Amino acid sequence: MSRHAAPWILASLVLMAVLVVLGLRIGSFATDYAFIGRTLLHYNPQEPTQLALVELRLPRIVMALLAGAGLALSGYLMQAMVNNSLADPYLLGTASGASLGAILCFSLLTNLTVAGIYLPPLAALAGALLTTLLVVALGSQRGQLIPGQLLLSGVAISSLTAALGGLLSFLSSSEGQLRTVVFWAMGSFERAGWDVLPYPAGAVAVALVLLVFLQKDLNVLLLGEERAQTLGVHVARTRWILVVMAAALTGCVVALCGPVGFVGLMVPHLTRWLLGVTGRANLLFCALLGADFLLGCDLLARLLYPPAGLPVGLITALFGVPFFVYLLRKKRVAL
Amino acid sequence: MRLYNRRRCYLWSMMRFPFPLSVLLLLTLLLVAGCQSNDKSVVAVTVAPQQVTDDLGHQLTIPARPRRIMSLAASMTEMLYAVADTATIVARTQVCDYPKAVLRKPVISSYPLDLEGLVALHPDVVFTVEGITSLDDIARLEKLGIPVYCQRYSKVTDILRGLTDLGRLLGRAPQAKYLVDSLATELKSLEQSVAPAPVRPRVLAITWQDPIYVYGENTLFTDRIRLAGGQNAVTEHFAQPYPALTREYILKLNPDVLIGGSFGKLDSTFFKSYPELKRIKAYQTRRVYGITGDLMERPSPRVAESVRELQRLLRTP
Repeated sequence: MSRHAAPWILASLVLMAVLVVLGLRIGSFATDYAFIGRTLLHYNPQEPTQLALVELRLPRIVMALLAGAGLALSGYLMQAMVNNSLADPYLLGTASGASLGAILCFSLLTNLTVAGIYLPPLAALAGALLTTLLVVALGSQRGQLIPGQLLLSGVAISSLTAALGGLLSFLSSSEGQLRTVVFWAMGSFERAGWDVLPYPAGAVAVALVLLVFLQKDLNVLLLGEERAQTLGVHVARTRWILVVMAAALTGCVVALCGPVGFVGLMVPHLTRWLLGVTGRANLLFCALLGADFLLGCDLLARLLYPPAGLPVGLITALFGVPFFVYLLRKKRVAL
Repeated sequence: MRLYNRRRCYLWSMMRFPFPLSVLLLLTLLLVAGCQSNDKSVVAVTVAPQQVTDDLGHQLTIPARPRRIMSLAASMTEMLYAVADTATIVARTQVCDYPKAVLRKPVISSYPLDLEGLVALHPDVVFTVEGITSLDDIARLEKLGIPVYCQRYSKVTDILRGLTDLGRLLGRAPQAKYLVDSLATELKSLEQSVAPAPVRPRVLAITWQDPIYVYGENTLFTDRIRLAGGQNAVTEHFAQPYPALTREYILKLNPDVLIGGSFGKLDSTFFKSYPELKRIKAYQTRRVYGITGDLMERPSPRVAESVRELQRLLRTP
């Protein structure tokens, strides 16, 4: 089943380059390729168009790439961990926890910037990690993660946090707050800036390096717990590593971009379809494919509804789902 | 026997009051009865209800002289207080806070709409503003037999027309005319007081910081700022009245003036979150101002006051 991965990886890199260049051209200021080249070679921050290119468009592109990579990886890890192809990064309640954190911040604080720090992403991160911790605590027994229990705990806690978030939104006094919450819940890369990019970049880099060593265990784990154990995989320990990695990746992304859906579910499947279940370069390719997919969705969002763009979460679902269903029907590959 | 008893009781009760007081009581009773019959005759003359069409094109039937009215929008409450007999206003919503007298009225929640509470008040007609009350809520109210009159304003003159319409509907045309005439004169003098400038300053007014929502081209702000001597920096037409803008779009707009909070406040919040925007002219020249939210947001009879406030800001060097 395993195929040669190099051409696919190369293709995804080429696609990424094309998307990045296209992404640099989309915006309110008119720019051509020559101008982009000039700007990247001799950047002059005094020129507004160049400033927009380097300080606004580029970080947004990088953010979309990192978010796509992070969510796709996280989805891959979750699917391997619970050995269920329906799993996605938000299984641990990360998205609803982050939403609750952000909504708490939007509705209870009058001043969102304290000591120069914009609080909503921090609150979202705290919400994401606390919820994940709670779900993991409920989904484990005597230090062992029980996949079925973890899944159900995730669903239950997600419902609870979603209800609390709903309550806060309902009681919200201002229309502006409500719009912020709705806007936030659909995901956007508009707030991206160079200052916050190191966090998701660090999480993705650490995950990729760590997972190079775990790739084999991960693939074996996909075959089932019993087989993995007989093949010498330390299942309990591997699961813990996967949960921590997935939570960190998802938490970082959701805190900065909001809960962008569907990437973490679809991209791991595409990866396995293209490279096979046990491909060695699966994780790297999954990250690249996720990055390409989300950047493509963001470009589409910006082109369809300028200038602010549609929420990227809508695009991933509106365009991703039909594509996914088409593949599902056409390939009929066993999940 | 019974008759006698009754009369005796009546006489006895009369005697319990001192004589002058009894006479006074009788006279008052007579007077009230007289007034009531008088009133009835007035109603009998003008009993035919009015068939009217509101700004959204809805046709509705309302009493010739509505006696119990209320509004579902803070701005409309201000309009009613300016034109209607305030005793006929039966309630306010949780957001209505101007004029102060309105705070004494019972509260009906407008969102979510307290349908039962509203019906219990038996209003003759309910007034609202397009976009504030959902079409669904309007339909439900009308199904319950409560006519809903909706107004729409896209220019400052629409507010004046709205006041005139309210005056006509409520049988207070002279009061409305007096108010509208004085407002029109005031607005005209405000408009004329602007020194002719080669280029009007381009003003961007933000309503929310994350995402950045602004007053679009198709809001009343465009006309207000024109009367104040400026122009809305947003000239592109968006489907939403308050569109979300990207930082790049604002950088390109490069507004001369930014409205949404004092310089100090926005410097520590808005410009802290979006340092790239410090390059816009408004920030560079420190022409960043806060404004009274109610005045700016509400299409109300205080429109001249709002234009005057904007004019004062634009004149600040």
